[in-house]
Amino acid sequence: MAQDTGGAKDAGPWITAAKPEYTTLIDERHIVTQKYHMVNVPTAVWIDERGRIVRPNEVAFIDDRFKSFTNMESAKYIDAIRDWAANGAKSIYVLSETELKTRLQPPSDERGRADAEFALAEFLYKAGKGSDAIPHFKEAQRLDPDNWNYKRQAWALSNAERDYGTSFQQEVKKLNGKPYYEPHKLPEGKKPKE
Amino acid sequence: MIKYLCAALMIAASVVAGRGAEPSTRTVIYDGVAAEVDAAPNASAELWVTTKDLARATRFVIKPQGVCRDELCFPLPKNRKAEFISNKGSTTWFNLTEFARLIKQPFAADAKNGVWYFGPRPAEQNGYLASLEAPNFALPDLNGKLHSLSDFRGRKVLLVTWASW
Repeated sequence: MAQDTGGAKDAGPWITAAKPEYTTLIDERHIVTQKYHMVNVPTAVWIDERGRIVRPNEVAFIDDRFKSFTNMESAKYIDAIRDWAANGAKSIYVLSETELKTRLQPPSDERGRADAEFALAEFLYKAGKGSDAIPHFKEAQRLDPDNWNYKRQAWALSNAERDYGTSFQQEVKKLNGKPYYEPHKLPEGKKPKE
Repeated sequence: MIKYLCAALMIAASVVAGRGAEPSTRTVIYDGVAAEVDAAPNASAELWVTTKDLARATRFVIKPQGVCRDELCFPLPKNRKAEFISNKGSTTWFNLTEFARLIKQPFAADAKNGVWYFGPRPAEQNGYLASLEAPNFALPDLNGKLHSLSDFRGRKVLLVTWASW
């Protein structure tokens, strides 16, 4: 599910190179980011056969190529996915309704306003009004400062240092040790079922 | 999607044609669909639309019981009706921005280009937090074929987002 304002032009070459055997979609209006209140990529949601969420938003790397940056190993999460695929609702990684409702908290009013500013900015950008879009991208970033999707997408559409006075590297440094990705909350001390 | 792109091209054209002048139309994006609406005669930071444009752009209509769409109705505060409805000649205008505030609907505006975006109300946007039903969507693959999340009912779905940036 590519979160790319540039649509097939930007996401297409990656999809073609990956030769996926699964359904791969292009979300040029960040509809999934908005509907699921996502803030980063890669983010995964587990959805069961009834269409219900059984694990909400969490970081989802399939290998360790960014381990030096994320300080995360992918193996445990991949094992968890395999366990769910094999055991379904009996998987130890499927969250209880109570836990799900604890993790799925309503977003702030500012998040709703950020979504609106970002969507307006995307519309202006696609109308050829890239410079007019920038103040709205900035407002979305101000309203939802932890939303890396809204930051990185906007920066990618222009010259970030010139138009936003920053860069991805500079913003990561500002985290000052705070994790870029929230660590997984997987059960400890239990091995996935075979 | 096609409506959305057409409106994007229209706004680009109208801005170029009327460089520096107030556009004669406004663009309203509601439920993700863009529509051109007539501009109110008096310049205002608020977005006033005719009742005809209101129905066309949002599917809301003014009824005695309130502002309604299908079974959903929002009563207007009796002592504030003038903030929402204004009659000029034979035309009735409706303040869509004040209505958004009333129903706690987030919106964003670009006055220069005459574009207003209205997002979902929190009750629409956050219903899944209680039901736990994954919000549905329909998006295209690389060949342009649309796929809905609901198409996958009966199978497990690992929904993963990524980006080229």
